[in-house]
Amino acid sequence: MAVDELIPALASVAADGAVRAGRGLSGLMGQEISIHVPNIRVGTKNDACDAVGGEETVVIGSYLSISGDITGHVMLLFPEPRALECVDLMMGQEPGTTTGPDEMACSAISELGNIVGSAFVNALADHLNLVLHPSPPQVLHEMAIALVESVYAEVLSQGGDVVMMDAVFEDQKGRTAGLLIVAPDPASLGALQRVAA
Amino acid sequence: MTTTTAEARRISVGIGQLALSRDPRDVLVAYGLGSCVGISCWDPEAKVAALAHILLPSSEGKRVDDREPARFADSGIDLLLQRLAEAGAVRRRLIVKVAGGAAVLGAANAEKFKIGVRNAEAITERLKHHGIRVAAADLGGTKGRTMELHVATGKTFVRTAASPASEL
Repeated sequence: MAVDELIPALASVAADGAVRAGRGLSGLMGQEISIHVPNIRVGTKNDACDAVGGEETVVIGSYLSISGDITGHVMLLFPEPRALECVDLMMGQEPGTTTGPDEMACSAISELGNIVGSAFVNALADHLNLVLHPSPPQVLHEMAIALVESVYAEVLSQGGDVVMMDAVFEDQKGRTAGLLIVAPDPASLGALQRVAA
Repeated sequence: MTTTTAEARRISVGIGQLALSRDPRDVLVAYGLGSCVGISCWDPEAKVAALAHILLPSSEGKRVDDREPARFADSGIDLLLQRLAEAGAVRRRLIVKVAGGAAVLGAANAEKFKIGVRNAEAITERLKHHGIRVAAADLGGTKGRTMELHVATGKTFVRTAASPASEL
């Protein structure tokens, strides 16, 4: 199976992963979150950042690596103001209480990454009958493009194709509440193709 | 702070791209360099400026996709210098500055993500191969950088998510 043929096979898995991840996010934030059907694409991802506000946007989020039957990368990114709102919602605080990524906010964002990222990874594991382990989350406060570009470069440097799945979460006001990006390492694409066939 | 004027035209130089300009209104910008490295070049006499946004260390002899001419350090730098020469720049006059090559996914993941370090090494080596001395460098660390080159002055600025622009 060529990489292009893997995409439809992964689509339903990614959709379920996104639904589970969105449910996790809704539960933590105590409000309904809607999920866009995930994009799955092969190639450079400048536009992967558009959902969080484009090339100058600073995001707060977390990174997890996947190990086990396949290896790869998971990032959950929030535009900075949304991240701070998420923290207030999670902590049951008045909106505007959290003004920056302090220790408490980082801990909350780490928990978000853990639950939402793991939900997606678990969906992947269930559907494809794989054993997968997400790493502890690393909290990031960084330019969105720098993060996406670094994962892209790392995957590409191993040789082969970059397959990126990204799902956008929206809050009740129709604003981007978060962006989930999942990218398997090239060496794992073969395993994914076998089980997704 | 930057010296951007009201009529400045910001030209985004995306991943694997390179841009040349001699128009003093232009500001060439490589946004959010993570493990990527930006290379700014300025010939103060010919007043030609160029900025490249390098993604990976080596083309390994493979043919380079025209859509990303500056994807690799080796072939990207060769092409950058060729384009500068065609635009009237003289190599010995070039002021070359480099920024990027960070491990932005955190210290805990730096061991796994070595691509930034490899990019920085490959770029330094390729420039040396062409007899070019780097005038200023801001490489490594764990912070993403935005690099901009002002064609009017030839000045290069670098900023991060946490710090304002400062001249390199």
